[in-house]
Amino acid sequence: VIVRWQRGVPVYGVPVVTGPFIATAAVAGLGVMLIIYRQIVGLGPTTGMTDAYPWGIWKTFNTMVLTALGSGSFAIGIAAWIFRKRTLHSIMRVALLISFLVYTAGLLALGVDVGRPWNFWNMLLPWRWNTHSPLWEVALCMPVYAFFPLLLENTPPMLERIYYLYPQSKAAIRRLVPTIRATYPWVVALAYVLPILHQSSLGALMLLAGSRVHPLWQSPLLPWLYVWAAAYIGVATVIVTLLLCFLAWKRPLDFEVLRSLAALTSGLTLGWVGIRLLDIIVRGQIVTAFAFDWYSLVFWTEMALIGGAGVALRRKPVVESGHSLFLISLATVIGGMIYRYAPPALAFSSKPLSFYSPTVVEILISLGFIALCHLGFLVAVKRLPILPAPVSEWDNLVDYYRYLYPWVQISRSDHATSEHRPGYAD
Amino acid sequence: MEISRRQALGALAKGGIPLLASSTVGVTTCAASQLAIPLPSADAVAMLYDTTICTGCKACVSACAEANGLVPDTRLTGLHQSPLDLNAFTKNIIKLYDPVSGPQSFVKQQCMHCVDPACVAACPFEALFKRTKDGIVAWEPTKCIGCRYCEVACPYHVPKFEWAAQNPAIVKCEFCQHRLAVGEEPACTAVCPTDAVIFGPRSVLLAGAKARVEAAPGKYFENRVYGEHEAGGTQVLYLSHVPFEAIGLPTLAPDERPGRYLRWQSLIYKFFAFPVILYAIAARVMRQNFVEHQREVREEHEHSGMDPQL
Repeated sequence: VIVRWQRGVPVYGVPVVTGPFIATAAVAGLGVMLIIYRQIVGLGPTTGMTDAYPWGIWKTFNTMVLTALGSGSFAIGIAAWIFRKRTLHSIMRVALLISFLVYTAGLLALGVDVGRPWNFWNMLLPWRWNTHSPLWEVALCMPVYAFFPLLLENTPPMLERIYYLYPQSKAAIRRLVPTIRATYPWVVALAYVLPILHQSSLGALMLLAGSRVHPLWQSPLLPWLYVWAAAYIGVATVIVTLLLCFLAWKRPLDFEVLRSLAALTSGLTLGWVGIRLLDIIVRGQIVTAFAFDWYSLVFWTEMALIGGAGVALRRKPVVESGHSLFLISLATVIGGMIYRYAPPALAFSSKPLSFYSPTVVEILISLGFIALCHLGFLVAVKRLPILPAPVSEWDNLVDYYRYLYPWVQISRSDHATSEHRPGYAD
Repeated sequence: MEISRRQALGALAKGGIPLLASSTVGVTTCAASQLAIPLPSADAVAMLYDTTICTGCKACVSACAEANGLVPDTRLTGLHQSPLDLNAFTKNIIKLYDPVSGPQSFVKQQCMHCVDPACVAACPFEALFKRTKDGIVAWEPTKCIGCRYCEVACPYHVPKFEWAAQNPAIVKCEFCQHRLAVGEEPACTAVCPTDAVIFGPRSVLLAGAKARVEAAPGKYFENRVYGEHEAGGTQVLYLSHVPFEAIGLPTLAPDERPGRYLRWQSLIYKFFAFPVILYAIAARVMRQNFVEHQREVREEHEHSGMDPQL
């Protein structure tokens, strides 16, 4: 049976609060409590960071690595909106939801990490901005991206739920539609510029660390390789998420869309691997890749995962089976995460030579942020029309909702009863 | 209807090329001035430290702590003022270089007050800034968010963070700016009994250091002054009889950091030229494609009878 993803449909017939949900909520709750504890006692007693290793996992992992997982909406959006890959529109809502959650968590991690967060008000005074600083760029650009284009792009599913379940809101939402429609292209264009800026700045952060970053990673191309890596990590994350949702809730899979996502990932990874190898050869550092030390191990693991996945995703049997597509996409995500984690941590050597190991509090807070993302995702896909499905799923949903909310009239379309259609894009 | 990739690229190019052409002219004109390594200011203050004179008495360490109101650091051995490295209680330290064979040397470590400081380039809100008149790299508490990027960026590993504090400060030598303000010289140079470290205008001290090298060829490592050109030059100058690397003075090219790596960042964000161009191109293509997309969605709606989603 060929399935076509046509519209977002909530996961229905499943309770939001389940056993795993409560467990995840407990992890998130513990994280929030430990954040309060960290604010009270300070960074010294709670973290393993030292003057030699001033940046711990909150900045290097939660912000510098995990925000790459939220770059799917950036890469897929450019393919769908700028290069007009029509079929990819159906998965934009999932990609946008992941982006919003991951970026919010990354920003929170940055806020918990800094020692004097109350001085963030300086952001409001442009004459105090240091335009040299990649961290200034990140601190300005990431919140603007998360709370302006991303939040706005995530409103249609929420409005849709309100529209259908609370009939008294219909008139107000209809009045809002022309505004959304008029501003949408302007806002979405911003969503493709800002990630280029802050994802490249995340790479530029480590340029200033100079020789503390191993020469296999320290390169003038670091910013561009970072944003490029974010693009394929983001797309692969969306593939992994869609396949996991298929596993969890038996959502039907549209292999045509998955195949074009796989092709997009493959093209991005292979191009990236080429540029990365060329950069290392031009800088004359290829010899260090064969030193058979820790750094060459990290380098070849990363290269094997990313390059191998890029090649595998070109093979027909791989993209036609959900199982292998899942594993290969996961390999892409992990390889990309290793690349992004190397400059600030895996390939970072301190002086005087010392080792950083995150404390239990650091790890639990880090996990807390990931749990918060997970909770947000679970609630959103079960309550909002996010995950893509064929039109028939929508009809089943309507039957189910008629049973659940007998007072609500959900038809296939309001066309028959109204002059105006309620869609946001029409 | 699908618009081909060629057409999309064409639209990109049409919007982009005139904008790119006009902005390239603007950016390259200011690039020349932006990319140059800055020169030390005329009134730049400096210190000159000579390893051949220093006796390692550590009077400067105590004087520094006293002048800056720092608690004596007894955490390591219980001894008064004996930390291993610069830390949140220590802005100035004397270390001993003791090789298995060859000559020993003391070395004084504190902020180098770079002419082109990497910490200042890194700091998001100019909490670390270079004073324009005398070139001191100072710290402004109301602007610091405690991100510790200065610690990552500094090639000399100088800025330290008060990890134990609830209102943590960045601790580093600020050239005793409070003493300079009342006409006194920094505590370390004032107290040094052998004049191993001396205070003065950078131009005078640099000439003096070069004179010492000329007077005794072969006495000093590489017959040169460390800090004249390193990473754009520093305002703390060193003369050493042992290799610079051995006493913790790294080999740095004149444009090492932030110069070589980071200037483009400022070029891109100075007038927001690059982001604005990108946005103009993206918005142009987006608006065109959005109209097209709406038409497709309407067709789909007529076909399936389903309300469209965005």
